[in-house]
Amino acid sequence: MTDDLEQLYQTTYTAVVRFLYRKVWDAERAEDLAQEVFVRALAHQPEKPRAWIFAVAANLARDEARAAVRRKRHLTLLKADPVAQPTIEPAADTLVEHDERVASVHEALNTLTPRDREILLLWDAGLSYPEIAAQTGLAVGAVGTTLARARRRLVEAHDRQNPSKGIHAAHS
Amino acid sequence: MRHIPEDELHAYLDQGLSRSQCVEIESHLAACASCQGARDSIAALRDRTTALLARLAPPRAFPASFETLRRRAAVEVSARRRRLHRATWAASIVAAVAFGWTANHLADSAASTARVTTPVPALTSTPAAVARQAVSNDSRSPTAEPAGSQGAENDSTAGKPVRRPAPGGRRVANAPVSQVALPPVVAPTELELSAVDMPPASEFELDGMWRTMSWAGAQEEAGDKLPHIDGLPVVQVQVQASRQGRQPLMVVAQQLSSGEVIRTIEGPASDVSHLLARRTMSDPDHTMSRVDSAPQRTEAHPGVGGTMAMQRGDRMIAITGALPPDSLLAMIRRLNAEMRSK
Repeated sequence: MTDDLEQLYQTTYTAVVRFLYRKVWDAERAEDLAQEVFVRALAHQPEKPRAWIFAVAANLARDEARAAVRRKRHLTLLKADPVAQPTIEPAADTLVEHDERVASVHEALNTLTPRDREILLLWDAGLSYPEIAAQTGLAVGAVGTTLARARRRLVEAHDRQNPSKGIHAAHS
Repeated sequence: MRHIPEDELHAYLDQGLSRSQCVEIESHLAACASCQGARDSIAALRDRTTALLARLAPPRAFPASFETLRRRAAVEVSARRRRLHRATWAASIVAAVAFGWTANHLADSAASTARVTTPVPALTSTPAAVARQAVSNDSRSPTAEPAGSQGAENDSTAGKPVRRPAPGGRRVANAPVSQVALPPVVAPTELELSAVDMPPASEFELDGMWRTMSWAGAQEEAGDKLPHIDGLPVVQVQVQASRQGRQPLMVVAQQLSSGEVIRTIEGPASDVSHLLARRTMSDPDHTMSRVDSAPQRTEAHPGVGGTMAMQRGDRMIAITGALPPDSLLAMIRRLNAEMRSK
């Protein structure tokens, strides 16, 4: 079982980090969380480790997002306090460093509904239809419908933001 | 002829369909140019999405070695067990406190109805007197023997108990004690500070200002309120700096003949429970693993640390030590009875 997990770690670690990165938008944090996910898997020895890992990753990312909202609120309070002015949201700085190409996809992804986005990201992380269905509570038959819509909307949103680059990207 | 819906083509390309569904779609595609075109555009859309998402990759990924994760998981598992143990432990404290409260309540109501009051002789508080007291209890500790020069003095007083159980309700709580076998107590010796290997400090962390005192000094300060089990050599007395006008929190460490050190704690209820909670936090790991490996035997396992606490009004007494719970229970009942009589 542990050997299976080790193999899974080798094959899916990058996918889990990527999946988390697209939710927390902080590479270091995504890696920390991904390791946390595998540590928990080792401690729990789940029956279906691959699906389990992404389910836990999604939960951790959700908790992280909530914590980020709280931090942001706290920072807003700090900013109102002139003494605490030097404390500036670090995530904002990191985002600025992202190149335009990344930012445009990020924005396009943000136009999707949370459910469409989740399913698209799970698919991109390598989960199968039944695994996605099990994790999201969707019927297996509905996964294709959701993916069809999510893909169309992502590409449309991206091309709307970058009308000239859209064609280039299509062929890259 | 029915064309293939868009979502089915997505599912087909994503390999999300059953074998029979695939066969059906493939046979249709072979004969339908319109659906072939739809399939190609969906395949392009799919590739496009994948390409766009590929940009959203973290700049780097340095996977930790799997061995590191394994170690972290081991720590996590033991922490989980510790939390479980802590919860069980907290529940047992609550039960003990509830038991103590009930016992107090019963004893008090018995006292008020009986209205038989026999003056309890005041216990002299010199170490020798306490030692004599222990001798008087020797009927249930056959291993105890008078030792050294102290023995001669003890011999002369043996069989003359300094303190007899009062017949009134005040002593009710003491009644079951004699039925519970106490662990063999050490031969009565002088109650003085002696050099004994103390457990590592981490086992029993005390926060705040603590003073280690001599037995005489502690008695001067606390009088008869000093919590201890009569007849066991005192290893260490620690007194927390008290707030104005309050009896301080005291910890008396005593050693059993087996070498185990037990601690009796007396102080304001909130302070004692705080201290006990801290102790659980610093409980060593090996205790947990024992609990997990042989849950049914933990009660009898002498190596497992335990705690019994009893609330007396706004004060609380507690005994901690590596003893079976029934021994601790017997001790705390005895302690409670003794404290009560002072």
